[in-house]
Amino acid sequence: MKSVTSDTRVILICSGKGGVGKTTLTANLGISLASKGSPTAVLDADFGLRNLDLLLGLENRIVYTAQEVLEEKCRLDQALVKHKQEPNLSLLPAGNPRMLEWLKPEDMKRIVEMLSNEFEYVLIDCPAGVEDGFKNAVAASKEAIIVTNPEISAVRDADRVIGLLNSNGVKPIQLVLNRVRPKMMESQEMLSIEDVTDILALPLLGLVLEDEQVIVSTNRGEPLTLIGSQSPAARCYSNIASRLQGEEIPLIDPSKEGSGLRDKLRRLMQTKIF
Amino acid sequence: MSNSTRKIKLTLSESHGKNWLNELSLNIKSINSDSIHLNCKGLKLTCKDIKYIKSLFLKEKINLLSIESTNAESIVSASALGIQTFLKLKEEADNYAEESATISEREQIKSKIFFHQGTLRSGEILEVDHDVLILGDVNPGAIVIAGGNVKIWGRLLGIAHAGKDGDSHAKITALQLRPVQLRISDKIARGPSEKPDEGFAEEAKIEKGIIVIKPARTN
Ligand SMILES: Nc1ncnc2c1ncn2[C@@H]1O[C@H](COP(=O)(O)OP(=O)(O)OP(=O)(O)O)[C@@H](O)[C@H]1O
Ligand SMILES: [Mg+2]
Repeated sequence: MKSVTSDTRVILICSGKGGVGKTTLTANLGISLASKGSPTAVLDADFGLRNLDLLLGLENRIVYTAQEVLEEKCRLDQALVKHKQEPNLSLLPAGNPRMLEWLKPEDMKRIVEMLSNEFEYVLIDCPAGVEDGFKNAVAASKEAIIVTNPEISAVRDADRVIGLLNSNGVKPIQLVLNRVRPKMMESQEMLSIEDVTDILALPLLGLVLEDEQVIVSTNRGEPLTLIGSQSPAARCYSNIASRLQGEEIPLIDPSKEGSGLRDKLRRLMQTKIF
Repeated sequence: MSNSTRKIKLTLSESHGKNWLNELSLNIKSINSDSIHLNCKGLKLTCKDIKYIKSLFLKEKINLLSIESTNAESIVSASALGIQTFLKLKEEADNYAEESATISEREQIKSKIFFHQGTLRSGEILEVDHDVLILGDVNPGAIVIAGGNVKIWGRLLGIAHAGKDGDSHAKITALQLRPVQLRISDKIARGPSEKPDEGFAEEAKIEKGIIVIKPARTN
């Protein structure tokens, strides 16, 4: 075996709590990074409830999965599904749920090593929870993005996951706060950005606004970033990708995104960046 | 060949303000060693103080190896500057004759207080038989349990249990006490609902059979 000394960025996208937006972020970030010129692979590590293929609209093009690659029934390039409109992006689909019974951290590492030879970014869509599926994914990752929502239970679970990542030597760990509603934050019906970063003490990679278009695009199997959407969440995802690539794009405090007349005027005059 | 390392002591009472500085400047010339372990006893030293001390030593080409103190703040300041630290309990420090202390004795004393560097996150449980000092926060969902005192150089937002084996004199100290729940010995209290004033260390202890929270003594 050759030793891996590649500078491929292997990034785990995880949350602890389920349903906070990991898969949506993985899909959009994957498309975004690829469209900005970085060869990117997305790996579905959620064998139990795989749906990264769905979100990317690639379900019907899957022939082989990570399972066949590990069993050496096919080559890696046969299992990889290249995205038609964004050929810089490939998906390595999850095998069937029974894979969970035998998959070991070493297997996951092997897959990621293979991907590292071919891609600049490997994004791993992590399953919810902190059980075996999570542990396998952590073992293969170098850095991580924690996705959370401005809700106490999501933040609590994120904190738990950060502790586990720390003890596994995964770093850096950055934070994406998803489903932000400026109005609710303003009226303090929702945790503020400070409330969240105060507890989690992680650098904030970006905010993603609550946006109906996310749901529409999910159902179509076309990530927002693919169709060049100008919707709020699409811009958020694209900014996160740029920041990952080292660009410095400032965050804006949504508490200043009020709905008063003055705020509206001000908003007209400045471009919002999330 | 370099000389063997020696310890020097600073034995100034806190009421004399910065007199330790004079004493140090006077003694520093007579130090016959190129490295030193410094015992600051109960002195409260800030990062600035320690930086200054370090520079004084450096001027005499003396390397400051470690700092020993009974004062948690001094320990925090020193470790913030990357200097090796030894925190000692007050009673033990008084009992123990500095001159005759061997390394192994010092190791023992050090082990009576458990040092945890970093924040305890949700789901993490830290349990020790003696005192515990945490340099970091105890987040919601995290639990710290000690046979003796719990000292937190940070915020207590989770659960703390001091005196787990029945010591009702045990205390819980933190820069910000906003716990979910407090336990001392066999007493349990829910955390205060209002936010405390920022910037004052607070301490919880048992008074007349119930757990009370007060501003921490400054000593
Ligand atoms: N910014 C957003 N605005 C509106 N809806 C969103 C946003 N982000 C995610 N959602 C919706 O939330 C739901 C859960 O998202 P997603 O599947 O990405 O979460 P997940 O963390 O991968 O879940 P699981 O833990 O089950 O894998 C989806 O229906 C998605 O459309
Ligand atoms: Mg998912």
